[in-house]
Amino acid sequence: MASASQDTKTSFWLYRFSLLLVGATLLLILAGGLVTSREAGLAVPDWPLSYGKFFPPMVGNIFWEHGHRMIAGAVAILTLVLSVWIQIQGKQPWLKRLAWAALGAVILQALLGGLTVLYMLPPAVSIFHACLAQTFFCFTVALAYFLHPNFIPAQPAQKSSAQSPNRLALMTFAFIYFQLILGASIRHSSFTAAPHVIFASLVFLHVTLLAIRILRFHGEDKALVRAALGLGFSTVLQVFLGIGAFVFTRMLERGYEPPPAEIFFTASHQTLGAAVLGMSAWICLRARR
Amino acid sequence: MKKIFYMTLAFISVCSFPLSAGALRGTAHFNGTPPAPQKVDMNADPTCASAHTEPVYTEEAAVNSNLTLKHVFVYVKQGLEGRTFETPQAAAVLDQKGCQYEPHVFGIQVNQPLEIHNSDATLHNVHGMPRETKEFNLGMPIQGMKLTRKFEKPEIMVKFKCDVHPWMRAYAGVLAHPYYSVTDGEGKYEIKDLPPGKYVIEFWHEKYGTQTQEVSIGDAGDQTLDFTYAG
Repeated sequence: MASASQDTKTSFWLYRFSLLLVGATLLLILAGGLVTSREAGLAVPDWPLSYGKFFPPMVGNIFWEHGHRMIAGAVAILTLVLSVWIQIQGKQPWLKRLAWAALGAVILQALLGGLTVLYMLPPAVSIFHACLAQTFFCFTVALAYFLHPNFIPAQPAQKSSAQSPNRLALMTFAFIYFQLILGASIRHSSFTAAPHVIFASLVFLHVTLLAIRILRFHGEDKALVRAALGLGFSTVLQVFLGIGAFVFTRMLERGYEPPPAEIFFTASHQTLGAAVLGMSAWICLRARR
Repeated sequence: MKKIFYMTLAFISVCSFPLSAGALRGTAHFNGTPPAPQKVDMNADPTCASAHTEPVYTEEAAVNSNLTLKHVFVYVKQGLEGRTFETPQAAAVLDQKGCQYEPHVFGIQVNQPLEIHNSDATLHNVHGMPRETKEFNLGMPIQGMKLTRKFEKPEIMVKFKCDVHPWMRAYAGVLAHPYYSVTDGEGKYEIKDLPPGKYVIEFWHEKYGTQTQEVSIGDAGDQTLDFTYAG
């Protein structure tokens, strides 16, 4: 009896720890977005050390670049702890593999970050770095979902395919992910903004359809309804942030330094994009119940 | 032996020029309302902020009080084809002083050494962004530090930036010949010892772009060539 109680307590703290990793990863994505928006990516020309030191003077744009590296280091340590914890807890084999995959992703991400610095922001590496950040965020969301104390494995479908949000949720997730690749391509190369702008309407349409289907046929699942509403609201906000980012980066003249409004719109558009992807990933998993 | 050969070659190329040569002088006029100066906020690095007692403004569009334009790179674009010129052994210097590049715009010859100094008690990275030669990004964390770089091919213009202090920007015109100049605080430039001939002169400005004019330098000597940028 005491053992069962202990297991429940440990599972609760494991879940809380996974939520901490989700939050830290979103903060890391925001920090990375600020590095790009402030054009601080090459403020520290060496890697893995910074000006040959573990901790350089945090002046000018070094604050943003080295700050990003420190948060990244913290996220890597959190991922390592979570992965080892999951192995020790004797969770399902597929969950253990997912945890190792997340750890592999964060290590690869660190190496890509180093390559972007050493090779002075080659577009292909920078785009890959940006997309892997979003992918890793989805890993953390999935781990947190599966570690929830009330997690119920997927059941055979009980509703008709017309009512199930399963397929629509997957399509929405895929569209958002593709949209993020387009966004990263614009941000890290001279790629045209037109496909990203056009594809936004497709994403918006699918998010709307998904939200309607969930509200109509799955009203009893309060968490799913909340996630659908959150996804819808975030997508609307994301469109406005995208317009702001477009105006400031493509239409307005600027001096040597990006103005604060440009930094706000571009960094928040990128970070909310990650949050939208994470929410759609969570809905995909929840819809399989 | 090799050294004597190259010295002879350089001597012949210099001697192959007509002995008479003139100076090309002129002024970069600015037509329109000068843009409002953009104040630089250096508070992100206290060392930079404490280096200045007066406000510092960006040099992107520095219009002089006499309505002339500073930092215009003026050079011979055409008219010197087929001629070779000695590469200066003396280094051109780009200094990082008061968290600003000095000079902001300058000229340098292909393979001439460029000495980059850090006169500041703070760290800089010097990020050279040539398209024709390999890009570089070098940390200069120590005051008094010097680095040397060369550019192997002509290029208009090579951009330099400090990613630590994003207000820092400089431009270098890399040429195969020594006939270039940069307009000063009165908008004036002078290209000395230009041999007689017909030339295309290009004026480059980082904000207002480029324009060209033709000019003939005769045996009579000096020539004046003004130009105007519209704001």
